Amino acid sequence: MENSQKFCELFFQALRIRLVEERIIELYPSDGIQSPVHLSIGQEAVAVGACRNLKKTDLVFCTYRSHAFYLAKGGSLAEMFAELYGKVTGCARGKAGSMHLAAPEVGVMGASAVVASTIPHAVGAALAAKRLGHDQVVVGVFGDGATEEGVYHESLNFAVLHRLPVVFLCENNGLAVHSSQKSRQGYDILEHARSYGLPVYHIAEGYDFVKVADTMSGIIQHVRLTREPIFVEIRTYRYKEHVGPGEDFRCGYRKTEEWLAWKRQDPLEQYGNLVETFRPGIRKEIDEAVHFAMSSPFPSVEELLRDVV
Amino acid sequence: MLCNASVTSRVNGQAATGPRAQAGTEIISYRDALHWTMQDALQRHDSVLILGQGVDDHKGIFGSTTGLSQAFGADRVMDTPLAEEGMTGVAIGAALNGLYPIQTHIRADFSLLAMNQIINLAAKYKYMFGGRFDVPMLIRMIVGRSWGQGAQHSQSLQSLFAHIPGLQIVMPSSSQSILDTYPAVIDRYRGPVISFEHRLMYDLQFYVAPLSTRQETEPFGSRLVRPGEEVTIVATSIMVLEAMRAAEHLALVSDIQCEVIDLHCVSSPDWDLVMQSVEKTGRLVVADTSWREYGVCAEVCRVVAERNPGFLKAPVVTLGMQPAPCPTAKCLEDLFYPDLRQLVDALAVLVTGKQGHGVPLPDTQSMADVYKRFKGPF
Ligand SMILES: Cc1ncc(C[n+]2csc(CCOP(=O)(O)OP(=O)(O)O)c2C)c(N)n1
Ligand SMILES: [Mg+2]
Repeated sequence: MENSQKFCELFFQALRIRLVEERIIELYPSDGIQSPVHLSIGQEAVAVGACRNLKKTDLVFCTYRSHAFYLAKGGSLAEMFAELYGKVTGCARGKAGSMHLAAPEVGVMGASAVVASTIPHAVGAALAAKRLGHDQVVVGVFGDGATEEGVYHESLNFAVLHRLPVVFLCENNGLAVHSSQKSRQGYDILEHARSYGLPVYHIAEGYDFVKVADTMSGIIQHVRLTREPIFVEIRTYRYKEHVGPGEDFRCGYRKTEEWLAWKRQDPLEQYGNLVETFRPGIRKEIDEAVHFAMSSPFPSVEELLRDVV
Repeated sequence: MLCNASVTSRVNGQAATGPRAQAGTEIISYRDALHWTMQDALQRHDSVLILGQGVDDHKGIFGSTTGLSQAFGADRVMDTPLAEEGMTGVAIGAALNGLYPIQTHIRADFSLLAMNQIINLAAKYKYMFGGRFDVPMLIRMIVGRSWGQGAQHSQSLQSLFAHIPGLQIVMPSSSQSILDTYPAVIDRYRGPVISFEHRLMYDLQFYVAPLSTRQETEPFGSRLVRPGEEVTIVATSIMVLEAMRAAEHLALVSDIQCEVIDLHCVSSPDWDLVMQSVEKTGRLVVADTSWREYGVCAEVCRVVAERNPGFLKAPVVTLGMQPAPCPTAKCLEDLFYPDLRQLVDALAVLVTGKQGHGVPLPDTQSMADVYKRFKGPF
């Protein structure tokens, strides 16, 4: 398995994201990145597996935790670092920071720091795709916590009602900040979604990018052909604190054992040789991106009032 | 198409009267102007989509969308679930992917459930992503008034939205204003626009430039609607009509000549126009449809105070709703909103500098009663 080309490609993509975020952790204390970061370390396989099946013209709407999706969908690494550093060469000219990455040229349609708020955008974009006769598939990415928001339900209802080509992708890491899913939800996400009348899928092995990619391949194919919505919940695990570069297993709201169990399954932790094979090339790319970011200019005064209306 | 016919028959059926009837003008109600712009947008742009609760029913948002769903299809004039936030988000997503959504709120009050999408998303999508996205969309919100609309069906929320950078807020005060604003916005403006339509004006007939001669118009900014020397009235929405009635009354019974400015685009008014007028008259009355506190009245005062308070010969006077939720009992509601008599009195006191100015005041009459029967002339 680990020798297959698909495995290697996905491994590379996932590792790239992890090394990028590890670089962010290294750089963070220098305070050059003045933006809250919600890291996806531990969750990379979700983005990598999903985006492998998307075309450039397919659209993804993300959350504040979107480094992984931005990169997996093909967003520029250099522009991402420049954005984190608040530089005018950033993907949003330094006005977004970590929480609002976007790359419309590859279908990354923006990310919002307000929980659940981009879910209806995915539905609306799918409505446009349907009306305009595009073959696009639109993916709305959100966390388990987002399913508690009213707009999530409004979005599901409308997508099913109008049979829109959208994938609802719930990245379930079992946590909203420090609260466990159990303490927040009286319903089962999947059963509840099913009641809206759309096919639902569950992927328990959110660390396994091949499994995610294979399942998502079927799902995205289906949406592309039928132009109808599908729901998928992918279990995953957040290794770092909710926001920021650190670890927080000392804080008592979750157990180190959970993490260790998850890591034992995580290919990026298991295949040290492969990591070492890919690391130098990725490091070089990251070095160049960081150099681009650090050597780029900050936005000028005119940027302050540019693009308001 | 049935919609066009309805415009013509109304015009023929209820010819407006008044001093401004001229050759080369047509008469059209606020409602029919809205209907005309909706139909026109659907006809000329495949990308236009109207979505709102009840847009396809027999009442069609007080007649402004009647028949359009049947004519253009339910996928273009779309009844929506009762989900204000979700549907605003859907509209944003649709706008991001090539459509031009026109969303309706049959009462502006209901848009409060969509504040997150309007303020956190639509208003910021362009700036927050460094200009990489546009969110072209029009949100129509209707301000209810009278017939016991009460506290939650009557609010005029323009200042809430005008406070937020990234939104354009317009308040059409006549059929012409609608015809000048909506097609221009839909054709050329690439950001989110919120329009506050006033329910009391829907039935009113207005003279307009002929519909067949389409002109390039400026959808934003403000309009000078009546020149005058003694006092400037800056007004919004239906208060522009009240200001005109007050001005015509004063012109008839006194030698006070009021200049009336329709602020129109409250998010980016033509402040130079306002300042030039205040410089000329030295006196300013602001008449808004909403509360005065932290609103349009306050904002006009801020700008005059910052730009040149020395223009003023007397303190500014503001008129708006009383600082309470809107009551339902008609006797209280009539007190809640400013009336023509108060406006005329305020103008006369301001210009003469005397409480006992001796200028005859018009009868006190509920605005709802007046506008039920009101025809033209503006
Ligand atoms: C509407 C809203 N409420 C609260 C917050 C604060 N907040 C930020 S992230 C978060 C947790 C969201 O959890 P989930 O959707 O599971 O996403 P995750 O962070 O786990 O990826 C909360 C409550 C917010 N940003 N927006
Ligand atoms: Mg979560």
